[in-house]
Amino acid sequence: MSELTARPVPVSVSADEVREWLRDRVAAHTGRPVEEIRPDLPLTEYGLDSVYVLGLCAEIEDHYGIEVEPTVMWDNPALDPLAEALVPLITAH
Amino acid sequence: MTSAVPVSPARTAGVAGDHVHDKHISTLEELFGDAGDPVNPVGRAEIVAADERGEMLAAGEDLLTGFGLNAHFVPEALGGRFTGLEQLIGVMRAVYRRDPCLGLGYGAGSFMAGVNVWTAGTAAQQLRLADRLLAGDRAACAYHELAHGNDFSRTGLTALPGPDGRRRLNGRKEIVANLRRAGSMVLFARTNPAPGSRSHSQLLLDTDDLDPGSVRHLERFGTVGMRGVQLGGIEFTDCAVPPGSVLGGTAGLGVETALRSFQLTRIALPGMTVGLLDTALRTALRGARSRPLYGGTVTDLPLSRSILAEAFADLLLADTFTTVAARSVHTAPAQAGVYASAVKSFVPPVLMRAVYRLSELLGSQFYLRAAEQPLFQKLLRDVQPSAFGHASRVSCQSALLPQLPLTARRGWLAAEGAALPAETFRPGMPLPGVRFEDLALTGGGRDPLSRSLVAGAADAREDGGIAAQARFWCAELDALAAAASGLGPGAAGPAASPYAFGLTTRWAGVLAASACLNTWWHRPPGADAFADRPAGVLAALHRLGTHLDHHRDPLPGALAEPLYTELVRRFDAGLTFDLDCRPTGA
Amino acid sequence: MTATGLGWPSGLPAALDAAIQGSRAADGPFAAARSARLDAREEFPAEACALLDGCGIARAYVPAEFGGAPGGLPELLASLRTVARHDVTVAVAHGKTFLGAVSTWVAGSAEQRRALARRILDEDAVVSWGLTEPGRGSDLLAGRLTATATEAGGRRLDGTKWPVNNATRGELISVLARTSPQGGARGFSLFLVDKNRLAEGSWRPLPKEPTHGIRGADISGIRFDGAEVPAGALTGRVGDGLEIVLKSLQLTRTVCCSLSLGAGEHALRLVHAFAERRALYGTTLLRLPLARRVLGRAAATVALADAASLMAARSAHCLTGEMSVVSALAKAGVPAIVQQTIDELAELLGARGFLTDRHVDGMFQKLERDHRVVAIFDGSTAVNRSALIAQFPLLGRLAHSGAHDAAGLAAAADVSALPALDHGALRLMSRTGCSVVQGLSAAAGRLGGLAAAGAVPQRAHEVAAALAQEVTAVADAVTALGPATRDTPPEAFALARRYELCFAGASATHLLLADPADEARALRLTAALERSLELLRPGHEAPPDAYEPVLTALAEPDASAGAAVTAKELIA
Repeated sequence: MSELTARPVPVSVSADEVREWLRDRVAAHTGRPVEEIRPDLPLTEYGLDSVYVLGLCAEIEDHYGIEVEPTVMWDNPALDPLAEALVPLITAH
Repeated sequence: MTSAVPVSPARTAGVAGDHVHDKHISTLEELFGDAGDPVNPVGRAEIVAADERGEMLAAGEDLLTGFGLNAHFVPEALGGRFTGLEQLIGVMRAVYRRDPCLGLGYGAGSFMAGVNVWTAGTAAQQLRLADRLLAGDRAACAYHELAHGNDFSRTGLTALPGPDGRRRLNGRKEIVANLRRAGSMVLFARTNPAPGSRSHSQLLLDTDDLDPGSVRHLERFGTVGMRGVQLGGIEFTDCAVPPGSVLGGTAGLGVETALRSFQLTRIALPGMTVGLLDTALRTALRGARSRPLYGGTVTDLPLSRSILAEAFADLLLADTFTTVAARSVHTAPAQAGVYASAVKSFVPPVLMRAVYRLSELLGSQFYLRAAEQPLFQKLLRDVQPSAFGHASRVSCQSALLPQLPLTARRGWLAAEGAALPAETFRPGMPLPGVRFEDLALTGGGRDPLSRSLVAGAADAREDGGIAAQARFWCAELDALAAAASGLGPGAAGPAASPYAFGLTTRWAGVLAASACLNTWWHRPPGADAFADRPAGVLAALHRLGTHLDHHRDPLPGALAEPLYTELVRRFDAGLTFDLDCRPTGA
Repeated sequence: MTATGLGWPSGLPAALDAAIQGSRAADGPFAAARSARLDAREEFPAEACALLDGCGIARAYVPAEFGGAPGGLPELLASLRTVARHDVTVAVAHGKTFLGAVSTWVAGSAEQRRALARRILDEDAVVSWGLTEPGRGSDLLAGRLTATATEAGGRRLDGTKWPVNNATRGELISVLARTSPQGGARGFSLFLVDKNRLAEGSWRPLPKEPTHGIRGADISGIRFDGAEVPAGALTGRVGDGLEIVLKSLQLTRTVCCSLSLGAGEHALRLVHAFAERRALYGTTLLRLPLARRVLGRAAATVALADAASLMAARSAHCLTGEMSVVSALAKAGVPAIVQQTIDELAELLGARGFLTDRHVDGMFQKLERDHRVVAIFDGSTAVNRSALIAQFPLLGRLAHSGAHDAAGLAAAADVSALPALDHGALRLMSRTGCSVVQGLSAAAGRLGGLAAAGAVPQRAHEVAAALAQEVTAVADAVTALGPATRDTPPEAFALARRYELCFAGASATHLLLADPADEARALRLTAALERSLELLRPGHEAPPDAYEPVLTALAEPDASAGAAVTAKELIA
């Protein structure tokens, strides 16, 4: 995971890019092929419970160099809305 | 390095701690009187007798009502006496020293319900519960369901809108203290059928407002320890929820409120239970000193003195860690969640093991319930729920685990964030008030208590044992950082490996070490002879190494003997064994 | 999980198991609900004891030459373990008769032995053992109960024995009495007192003591006031009392391990069943790696305790002169590691383990309380470690040299035959140290050969070799400690603990070596070896999959029972 920290991040980013990156991470976390991760289903479907998703939140912060309220994960339980919610935060940064 | 901690004992301009708070504890101690007095209605004999009957000690409850214990659960702004976590722990510890059943069954349940409301309730809700508690009423904190244990996010009890739009309760809660006799309850319920973490809420209910026909109380749960505590269950069938019951007025914030508010109770409960070990240690020492053996007493044996000294060091370790965590809620509220999970996962096993070892020292003196020390077998049973009650070790470790990689990168390797303010490490010194709104779900990768370890070690100018310990724990932090940053994705979660869970224990170990070392570095000038010598902190750190399985060596004689001497001094002078070292009749 | 032991010595344990299993339903004598009720009310488990009588458990208390069961101490160990697996209180309540009788086997005349055997076998007589007195702790030489010679040639008893298991229920009680006013090592004698033959008014029972665990047991006492016993009540010679008791304790302390084995298995069974059914996070608790580790570790600990207990019990027959060391190692070591395991399992069970009535009738909290007495009675852990420390200088020397009684050790490890127990060969101090530990290095070497040939798991050899290093390290530390003094330092007790674990691991090694072909048994013993190394080395963790075999065996009760049946049986 440490290689994630050093990666330069584009200043502007699209919801699609964010979503694909998130799918990738969820796949890594859950040990499933990325194709199986549907962006419209709640992450609880993949066994990522309320405490667990906080770890994913930490990765988002590191990757995009932003700080987000961890509850963003709860208010946006699927990847589609999550990506939409993250874009303005990333762009503002 | 972003900050430095002053190392020389600070000259705190004459501030002598919280006199008002001190007086409360002294008052409580006076009310309880001498536990050994056979005619004391709240003495040892009566406490054991009530336990045998499976009842709360009525005289003890009356005493606490007269004292106004409930006021200590209510923030000052709402008319109560709650000014901080350390003070609350101090008062409750005095109760736990006498009878853990009174502590849990009279007090802790109401406090657990209270923190939910102080954290997330509307002003009106806060006033309502404050008034009820200040009037001497009890509040039940109804989260637990046997089928889901501490995993309240899977709660089965629902409060969903019925056809008329009004919420109705369906389901049950089990093993909840005082359910039957509490006038108020904070009920954790599913308020939305959708999965996820926005589907639950706390409901603040007055039991009088519920339709008796739709509420059924379950038979009391019998338990092996804490036998006096009335653990009940409740079953709702289409029970209408009075309007205005949802905590904070908005449904869906329940998981967040629980995770934030219980940070206080996860620190407070182990802190209170230190009082149980205090009395267990006093009881064991009393037994060992009175027991003839080969022409002397049991305490003539170096092994006995070593076991007693180790239990004393365990107590100091547990107290130092919980006290620093309690004070950090005031100085670093955003990280309180991390420190609460660390304390609740690490401290209870330390307390339990200490009580178990003391039981081996007492042998038949405790196993025979009518023998010399009949209180001890009760304490042995009463200590057990500290492991699983409120939040189990594994659930706390599960809360720490997802934060580990980020904390390693940000807090430890990148050394982001400040160390804790010095006053965090000065027990009894004034602090800013608790800001419930600043309690956060995660520590954000910052770990100021670990920063304090590194900063303190860099600034320390002493030689010998303390410096060696400081170097050792800094190296352990480095090793932990390396191991934690190597955790792959998927390492967290309930299916995490024992290795990953083990890293959270190591984290708690570093935090405990930092608490011990910094409390030493920040010790006040003119502390008493024992507090001013390093034996106490070195013994606590030695025991910390034992609990983390770094070694299995007994406390070296050079540490065991001064600790045993201090233990006996305090015993003879009627002083507690914790950092407070205050007079007690327990 | 009916038979997880390393080998059934003969039919008695199996018969007991079948009878107990058959009486667990409804409100039968071994029904959990009844057990819980009696415990709550502090009532004696009379029906359960009667059931054991019906199975002929008394035969396990009597040497074979007097009509007892053929399997000797190992059979007794397995029998009481079978009882303790369901209810420790019952095992304590019934097994006491062995403790009361053993002094007669050790030092009684042929006629005394025959007579006592008849009483036990034909009448199911309850025999108790009165050693301790109020306010004297575990110091036997502090006893004040006197036996004064009478003109009729008998003895008059005056004084109190308390607390004593079955003091009230027992018809017979073996009493340690002061026969010389000065006391001292030769100032005590042992008398087998038949309460039925005492004059009325010359004795009275003391009330039952309430206890933390084993609440139903008859823990009481007896007071003698001029109670006259005939000359024939004397066991052994006048002045031999302490020596007889110390030798008898070598056997009873070994048998105490049965209580720990049973309690450990019971705890494991309860928590495993819970973990199997407990659904969470879309799976079961049993499938979560952390819980699996705890359970697997517990199963391996029970296997380790099993190996140590079996070797200790067999040593009584094959390495009799070493029992002063071996019994102390077993009595200090086995209850300690089992208690630790019960505490770890309790954490997994959580709130359910704390309930007295809802979850499996509160059986877990009962066994947890019951088991805490095992480390206290019949010589506490500290007392046994002190006994061991007293022999440290010789043990350290012999561990370095590797010298051992090879023939005795081979006989002890070979579970296919068992010589009779020669009570006369018991010694207060061992001249040959502890052959089980001293023979480890050689055994590890032979295991290396077998591993190279693929006959045993390679890992078994690696761990046995690591254990042999631990023995050397312990021997070094023992030597460095110097001669024993009265002010034994805590470090010596920590060393004693390590020596106990070396004994347990060495036991597993020898048992494995004696019968490497039985694969299930070999896996079980290898797991036990892994666990011994974990317990010995701070911070050491066994490989992630080390305990999977024992855990899998737990999940298949039929298979594990089958494995035990195919294990070498001792005596048909």
